[in-house]
Amino acid sequence: MNRMRRFIWLALFPVCFCLAGQKLTLPVQQGSVRFAAIGDMGTGDPPQYEVASRMNAIRAQFPFDFVIMLGDNIYGGNTSADFEKKFELPYRLLLDAGVKFYASLGNHDAATQKTYKPFNMGGQQYYTYKKGNVQFFALDTNYMNPLQITWLTKELQNSSSDWKICYFHHPLYSSSRFHGASVELRQTLEPLFIKYGVQAVFSGHDHVYERMKPQNGIHYFIEGAAGELRKGDLMRTDITAAGYDQDQSFLLVEISGDVLDFQAVSRLGMTVDEGVFSRAKTSPMTTGR
Amino acid sequence: MRSQVWILSLALSVSSSARLGGAGQTVKVVVADAPAVVIADFSARVRAYVSLRKNVEDSFTVLRSSNDSAEIAAHKIELAAMIVSARSDAGQGDIFTPEIAMRFRDIIRMTFQSPGAQSVRRTVQDKDPATPIVLRVNLAYPENSPLQMMPPTLLARLPDLPMDMGYRIIGRALVLLDNKTRLIVDFIPAAVP
Repeated sequence: MNRMRRFIWLALFPVCFCLAGQKLTLPVQQGSVRFAAIGDMGTGDPPQYEVASRMNAIRAQFPFDFVIMLGDNIYGGNTSADFEKKFELPYRLLLDAGVKFYASLGNHDAATQKTYKPFNMGGQQYYTYKKGNVQFFALDTNYMNPLQITWLTKELQNSSSDWKICYFHHPLYSSSRFHGASVELRQTLEPLFIKYGVQAVFSGHDHVYERMKPQNGIHYFIEGAAGELRKGDLMRTDITAAGYDQDQSFLLVEISGDVLDFQAVSRLGMTVDEGVFSRAKTSPMTTGR
Repeated sequence: MRSQVWILSLALSVSSSARLGGAGQTVKVVVADAPAVVIADFSARVRAYVSLRKNVEDSFTVLRSSNDSAEIAAHKIELAAMIVSARSDAGQGDIFTPEIAMRFRDIIRMTFQSPGAQSVRRTVQDKDPATPIVLRVNLAYPENSPLQMMPPTLLARLPDLPMDMGYRIIGRALVLLDNKTRLIVDFIPAAVP
């Protein structure tokens, strides 16, 4: 697909979306922290562009300020043509609107992505930043060495934010057939998450959407289908709260005070999951709407 | 082979051994010192590589960050070419000498036999389909091939590496990779049992 065709695609897709309609279930509170989560998106194929256009269209109703990237940001290479086709072009409208992207690295990503300014990694493979009352921790699960674990422990310990959210590529829990849970990583990270009160964790790697029932009080999400898709790969288990593996998707999140609302949206605009939970609960309860 | 390592260590730690007297105690000290000496040797060899990379990088532009992906890609290619040129005679075993490789194999074997080894093995087995990688020093790990997640348990046991250097398991080999250029710096074949 040449550049001109891509631009036409970008221009026309939101129109189709408007015709299809879009039901937003998020409250859009004044002063809330609003973001989107996408993983395994960097294919450069039409579905990635369609998801990006859907994100752009929904932003008219839900003006999110930033996007967290759950890894596999650029598949297949790291030439300038790759960055253009798999990031700059699909998300151009969002980038032009001032939406910031905060990347974490997947197993298909080169470490040099940390020096690419639009990924806002500050030259680090793992890093932290704050948005309102939320502190985000972007981790590199390709290489969870003692140095990173020490850094994370210290940052979590020193965090005074109401919300602590971690995101990275490999899921600690997963009901997908292809990859599934990274059990060893879970054994390494989850004790820290529990000890320091991490409330929500976002991952990719499995090319589906899945939300787990809270595990040890933590809400785990997989959103690894914002470009890639492994149709039919989700094998619902007793930890699955909701899941979707029939189309590409992305996740919208809003945090206002002690409440986190979420809505997962498919490429074609269908709401595939939604809900809300409070950080105040010691034993978090998630409710669908 | 293991006894050769300990004999080497014995020579290096002769003064501390001599102070202890008693045959049993001496052997104990030698066994304890052997890995430390070998690991120190490894760390020195890695530092020498990083120093070479820094010298090469200082000779043109050090790239901290850029909005221009073309600039990042070009920098990586140029840096890799200059490193390869600067160590054109490098070969397998220059950093992972036989003694160091033996010590690393011990660490890896212990990790894969320890309680919890099942989850370590599962980490190594979780991979995306990829074409087989040719392992050769100074060859770049292919851009279009995914990297294996390194088992955190193993990383906790292996010696720390300087910034922008990493271990990778590729097939059954343990590879020392330059993260800035993706160059294979050295590797231990058949390191994973």
